[in-house]
Amino acid sequence: MALLEVNHLSIGYQTPKGLLKAVDDVSFAVDAGQSLGLVGESGCGKTTIGMALMGLLPPNGSIVGGNVVLDGQDLSGLGEDALRQRRWRDIAMIFQAAMNALNPVQRVGEQIAEAILTHKPELGREEALRQVEGLYQLVGLPVGRLHDYPHQYSGGMKQRAVIAMALALNPKVIIADEPTTALDVIVQDQILKETRELQKEFNIAIIFISHDISIVSEVCEMIGVMYAGQMVERGAVGEVFRNPRHPYTKALLNSFPALGGPRRPLKPIPGEPPLLIGHRFGCRFCDRCPVPAASCKLEPPELVQVSETHFVRCDNA
Amino acid sequence: MSVKDQITAPAPPRRHPWRERLLENWRVFHRNPLGRVGLILLAIFAIMAALSVAPPLIDPMYHPMTGVDPEVMHSSPPSWRHWLGTDFMGRDILSQLLAGTRVAFMVGVSAAFMSIVLGVSVGMVSGYLGGWTDIILMRLSEIIMVMPTLLVVLMLAALFGKLGIWTIVLMIAFFRWPGVARVIRAQTLSLKGRPFIDAARVAGASHARIVFRHIMPNVLPLAFLYMTFRVTAAIIIEAALAFLGFGDPGTVSWGMMLQWVWKTGHMFQAPWWLLPPGLCISLLTLSFYMLGRAMDEVLDPRLRDQSH
Amino acid sequence: MTRYVINRLVQIVIILFMILTILFVLFRLAPGDPVARMVDPNMTPEDAARLIAQLGLDLPIWRQYLAYLGNCLTGNFGHSFHYGLPVLEIIGQRLPNTILLFSTGVLLSAIAGIAWGKLAAWNKGKATDLWLTVASLITHTLFLPWLALLLIWVFGYKLDWFPINGMISDEVWLDPDSGVLMKAWDVAYHMILPLGTLFIMHFGSYLLVMRSSMLETLKEDYIVTARAKGLTEKAIRNHHAAPNAWLPVVTSVGLSLAFSINGGALTETVFSWPGIGRELVFAVSQNDYPLAQASFLLVASVVLFSNLVVDVLYAYLDPRIRY
Repeated sequence: MALLEVNHLSIGYQTPKGLLKAVDDVSFAVDAGQSLGLVGESGCGKTTIGMALMGLLPPNGSIVGGNVVLDGQDLSGLGEDALRQRRWRDIAMIFQAAMNALNPVQRVGEQIAEAILTHKPELGREEALRQVEGLYQLVGLPVGRLHDYPHQYSGGMKQRAVIAMALALNPKVIIADEPTTALDVIVQDQILKETRELQKEFNIAIIFISHDISIVSEVCEMIGVMYAGQMVERGAVGEVFRNPRHPYTKALLNSFPALGGPRRPLKPIPGEPPLLIGHRFGCRFCDRCPVPAASCKLEPPELVQVSETHFVRCDNA
Repeated sequence: MSVKDQITAPAPPRRHPWRERLLENWRVFHRNPLGRVGLILLAIFAIMAALSVAPPLIDPMYHPMTGVDPEVMHSSPPSWRHWLGTDFMGRDILSQLLAGTRVAFMVGVSAAFMSIVLGVSVGMVSGYLGGWTDIILMRLSEIIMVMPTLLVVLMLAALFGKLGIWTIVLMIAFFRWPGVARVIRAQTLSLKGRPFIDAARVAGASHARIVFRHIMPNVLPLAFLYMTFRVTAAIIIEAALAFLGFGDPGTVSWGMMLQWVWKTGHMFQAPWWLLPPGLCISLLTLSFYMLGRAMDEVLDPRLRDQSH
Repeated sequence: MTRYVINRLVQIVIILFMILTILFVLFRLAPGDPVARMVDPNMTPEDAARLIAQLGLDLPIWRQYLAYLGNCLTGNFGHSFHYGLPVLEIIGQRLPNTILLFSTGVLLSAIAGIAWGKLAAWNKGKATDLWLTVASLITHTLFLPWLALLLIWVFGYKLDWFPINGMISDEVWLDPDSGVLMKAWDVAYHMILPLGTLFIMHFGSYLLVMRSSMLETLKEDYIVTARAKGLTEKAIRNHHAAPNAWLPVVTSVGLSLAFSINGGALTETVFSWPGIGRELVFAVSQNDYPLAQASFLLVASVVLFSNLVVDVLYAYLDPRIRY
């Protein structure tokens, strides 16, 4: 059994206009030390999955189907208090670009220490700060900057601080939500490399959420492609890239420029994702699919197994 | 038409979008409980102000300043002849109250209007021209803003003697424009960077034209919002001045009524005299304030409660 | 930080200087005889002549202006007509009383506004929030003198719980046996009603600002981070949201200081609290110009310095300014 298992997960938001199904029947599994990349355009549901795994859905959101099993324990049935105790200890989060993820009026070191002390109050402030020093060295931050405020840090430093914070309690799973989006490519590269090393050292499972498929290809072993709340393709990175089956995956790969090879015109995907309120007939990608078949509009496609690890949700794969 | 004519010509009247926007704004305003209550209260006071001309016409003894009831020459509780009783000179309190409503509206609206005109002009000019004009005007507004209006007017009273009602209005307007000016200036600055202003300038529009044709219509909604707050400030300051005894002795205002009840030592014995004027000042202020808050929600969609 | 403070102090000096100049100009422009305004008509001719020479009223304009500035800087504001004493002495006595009442009032209102605003935001939509918001709306649009009179009527006259006016009871202070504690309690006892007036008037606006600031802050990303770390809602509210939310409240305290001191002067007048606000009102009504001028200058200084204090406090609370 894998460390983290997500089985047929469905998440809905209550809106004045009805139930918005942001995530529909998504399944995947991640093992310790493994990385799974969740890719898709804005609004496809990847961040929602991340939030649901942390138990941080907004008040009008809830899990309406399926479950999440972490280390043998079903998380979806737990109450708020139990969830709160698990947060950060078992499963931590690295937020988008660390822009505003740090409290501007509190010193960075204190905020990280707070994470430690919330779950291990017996340590005391001194010891907690000492552990923060250790974390700083781990992520490559100068220890002398421990007592500075967030606005005194550069973008890359803030990102490292957020990573240090996520590692504070040595969690089993880390969810990284677009962690390098707002950084320049050089810093991005460094951070990705360092994150990989840390992952290997501490045997952490990482779920890497991004809209950038190229980053995911560098950092992850497994990839899950999301579209309109559904997982349309899932498999080992190498295999999915060499042999993409779903039209959307193919289009995604085509829409990114390649560094080598002959010059080709970029092919963006026309159209917009569908609204997720109300019942849907047929495949959600149908309106934008370059190769739709007659049956696609009537029946939602089933998950088809291509190889041991490779799954695709398409009738024409 | 040449390009220049097209850009500097009056904007074509956009009837339908305009009306729809107004309707939508009204709906948001109306939905807000503050707006509803504020409007109702304001309507009541408006009626009172309108009615204020009635009492002296009914019988000269009901005149707020000079009316004297031959039968009652002292402070008396409410009765059939005098619904709110009489003051220490036998004058009818209700008619004083009604006359005070008229004064309050007049003072409030004129002072607010004048300070808005001044504030908007200074704000726009300052934001648009920038440079030394901006610096000087903003420093000036800072200094004026820091001054406690009531006490400054008092000081001026010390120098120039008794003040007429319009002098008071002018002085209130003069000391309250900086607040508006800063906000309008900020908005002007943000509008200045927009492409449509550049387009107008390229087409040769003069500065004056740009400011009044293009910038002003966009800052006006904010100006109106601030006007409601200015009205409350003006009413309170006039009332405070009158209360302290520095108001216009020829005008009956609510503050004046409070001064009379206080100075003649009737405040403990005559609640029918003490309560109404203060209540009116507070309620009128409250209604304008609520109006302002409701309008705030109309202007800033982020404040709207999205749940309905 | 020190540079910031010094900068502001310089600004204050400049503003005061400008006020002095404007007052001087107005003084000469105003109708009537300037000399009569500064010199008590009831003085003997010799005293009057000496005072005129001292104040430089017989000098040409430029020299007069310089003499005026010099006098102000050395604290010579002339003699009060009414009290017959040097003005400096009178306002010197009044200043501490005003500062006592004013600062306590502002402080208490701000603290309560912040605490209750936090409560209201946290209970948004529920009964607590509704009551607090309605109470704030109603109280801060009340007419201060009217509120003061009502409080005196109910608590001073009808219930006889508190004294109606003044700051001290003569019996307590004239009695050689009363200790410091008793005297302090006496002042506090007299301060309850005026303080209550100021408090009721001002807590509302701070509450409303804190409430909306809190609601805005709770939407920020770092609140999500705090929740993800596993903090309790209470810890999030108090350690992360509130310290960010109370910054706009401090700003709003600063912006409303001029307004607050108007209220302070009115309160002092109604309660006969011997402060400079009341002295100013009194002096103006008595045509005691020297006293009025000095009182006004002092009030202006109080406002300016309070602004400085608030700004420094803000800089202290917001590390983005300090560093």
